Amino acid sequence: MGYQKIFNVALGLILTVTGAGVSCVFASDPPPESGAGSVAVRLHLTDDAIPADDPNAAVWDTIQPAEFKLAPQVHWPDRIQEVTVKSVKVRGIHNGQDLAILLEYADPSNDAADAAAIEFMVGDKMAHFAHGQEMLQVEGGAVNIWYWKKEDGKATDMSAKGFKTIRAQDDQNVSATGAWQDGTWRVVFSRPLQTGDEHDVQVTPGEWRNVAFAFWDGEIVDGAVKERGSQKAVSSWWYFRAEPPPDNSIYGYVVLGIVLAAGFQFFLVRKIRRGNES
Amino acid sequence: MKGSLAKTVILLVGMYVFLKFILPLFTAPLPASLIFLYLALTLASAMIFYTMSGGSLDEFMGPIGRFLTGTGQTGIAGTARILVFVLFPVLVGWQTYTRLAPSDMPPAENRTIHPAPPGEFVGLANPYERSQNNIMMGKGLYAAFCSPCHGANFDGKGPAAVGFNPPPANFGDPGTIAQLQESYLFWRIKKGGVGLPVEAMPWKSAMPRWEVELPDEWIWKIIMGEYDGAGQSPRTWEEEE
Repeated sequence: MGYQKIFNVALGLILTVTGAGVSCVFASDPPPESGAGSVAVRLHLTDDAIPADDPNAAVWDTIQPAEFKLAPQVHWPDRIQEVTVKSVKVRGIHNGQDLAILLEYADPSNDAADAAAIEFMVGDKMAHFAHGQEMLQVEGGAVNIWYWKKEDGKATDMSAKGFKTIRAQDDQNVSATGAWQDGTWRVVFSRPLQTGDEHDVQVTPGEWRNVAFAFWDGEIVDGAVKERGSQKAVSSWWYFRAEPPPDNSIYGYVVLGIVLAAGFQFFLVRKIRRGNES
Repeated sequence: MKGSLAKTVILLVGMYVFLKFILPLFTAPLPASLIFLYLALTLASAMIFYTMSGGSLDEFMGPIGRFLTGTGQTGIAGTARILVFVLFPVLVGWQTYTRLAPSDMPPAENRTIHPAPPGEFVGLANPYERSQNNIMMGKGLYAAFCSPCHGANFDGKGPAAVGFNPPPANFGDPGTIAQLQESYLFWRIKKGGVGLPVEAMPWKSAMPRWEVELPDEWIWKIIMGEYDGAGQSPRTWEEEE
């Protein structure tokens, strides 16, 4: 009978753990606050060629966009209090070799100086979203900026580490194409995931990286371009990740878990029965 | 001690209903991990109570043993037993899947909102008299330099606030400037986001480094204007002693 008691205690403890686990399943976390917007861009994995230079490719409409609100650049002079581009929808795709990111945003006029940019941290050091400017207590890293301007008709691959350090890279490996229709710009940027250039962001599927956005409305107002230089719409850092290839080994572990659980049940019942018989 | 297992089950269900549905009527909803902890503690307490003597242990564990071995289990009880034996491995498999499946959520960020200031900024007193003139000047400077993000109503809802992550502080919230000394605000305004230590993630902050644009006098007066406008008082050394 003593043996049985010990065994019953062990059984009770196992049921405790199981019961607690079940309770955890049913006690879900409170839902996040609504209206917070997106926090990450997902670059969807495809087996096909990516729409590297086609902002209106049909595949873009099959991808759920992430949406980020934008603010006037108020972090450093020259500031601006009001901007044209209030938010951006971002879609991404990659095929393991190349990636493409589509920015879609409202801008009522199609102007030569209209421009858009995507910013990334480079390497493992955290960089300030304002051009990787110096931080006082943290050694920061550099940023890689992909800049598209309507009148240039192409992208410029740039680097910066602090104000007034932004420059075009020697190695240009980003392309961009923009299309404006009915008050909306769609600009697609593309690049290989890995470039081998230490000044570039290197994109490894499955790894989270930081990303930020900036936009300029190039409309001419009173003889001058409305938004230029540091006068622009900006976002803070958000996240993006290239979707990793599916990992089927997960299902093997699931089957193993089921077999182990079933085996545990079998031996548990057999043990109790033997205990009762003795 | 009759029906001790049933009593324990009822206790656990009651505890769950209380924590999950009744408590949130009076306070913020509890996270799942905390509910799990409370239920585990409740169960552990019941186990300790029922294992204090051999008799109570048999009373508690007997039904479980009979259920698992199928002793005298017919009808609904028999069906329930089979259901448990099927569901337990399925639950384990499902948990394994949810633990291993790739998540679309970015890594969690534990950002410290009010990190410790550098020593040189600790305990500084506002050198300017808390006069109506100085407060009015501070409010004027606040309107010009701070309100685009922190809002004309000191509520963190200025026209430029919407795009930033983290959002600008709401000074009306008792968890912000009311918890801080004036010297802390002086540090935060003077050095801005880039002056934060690593645990506060300075790379994300849009707060300007105002020392490059504003004299110290203006910063001290802005602090006066902020507290007055938000209807808050700075935390002082006297209160802590």
